[in-house]
Amino acid sequence: MKNETNLKLKAVDEEQKIKLKTTRFGEIEVPRENVIHMPGGVLGFPGYKDYILVPHKENSPFLWYQSLDDPALVFVVINPLIFKPDYDVPISSALMESLGAEKIEELELLAIVTVPKDRPQDMTANLLGPIVIDPVKRLAKQIVLDPERYSTKTPILPQKK
Amino acid sequence: MLVLTRKKGESIIIGDDIRVYVVDVKGKQVRLGIEAPPNAPVHREEVYRIIQLENQYAAREAPLDLNQASDVWKEEKEGGKNEK
Repeated sequence: MKNETNLKLKAVDEEQKIKLKTTRFGEIEVPRENVIHMPGGVLGFPGYKDYILVPHKENSPFLWYQSLDDPALVFVVINPLIFKPDYDVPISSALMESLGAEKIEELELLAIVTVPKDRPQDMTANLLGPIVIDPVKRLAKQIVLDPERYSTKTPILPQKK
Repeated sequence: MLVLTRKKGESIIIGDDIRVYVVDVKGKQVRLGIEAPPNAPVHREEVYRIIQLENQYAAREAPLDLNQASDVWKEEKEGGKNEK
């Protein structure tokens, strides 16, 4: 299978870095402190709780959200506010508490992107289930919003008729 | 499956720390109040399933590289600027 990643995880303790080898984006090194912990996992992937964010490249809005538990598990994510500035995510005090977050304005948002094969112009973002991250505690949670307001398949680019 | 009959205002307890109240019953609709710890997230099942499926689809379809996607993004942004 061509599009399967071949990541090899090698922890380098003394440097506090995690080394990842991947067919997708070569070998990368990530500071251990950049690991994001999701106690509840990504919905549908309950056992996969640790992730790292790897920016795609300069001037690209995308990032890779790579699981540390499964070398083959990776999501494409985007900051949804980049293409939907009026995206309104209600943050409950229970969510703040579960993220150990102190300031609401420090929270960061990610939306998981689906890129259809050979039709990148039709890529969509899941705005119904955004990932909320507290960048200080490095804790994250995928939350569920109101299905009457948001969809799992919100087009990222303007729709051409 | 355990089936219990409850009236408005009554509740059930699941484990030590999950409590489900019957807040109101109106016709065919039941309003439930749920108290659960953060490690037991509560969702409407159909919404939860949709997000689960989309996540699984997104992971399966994650492209080999993102250059195509970022190229169309860039084109769209620059194209939009030129039109104005």
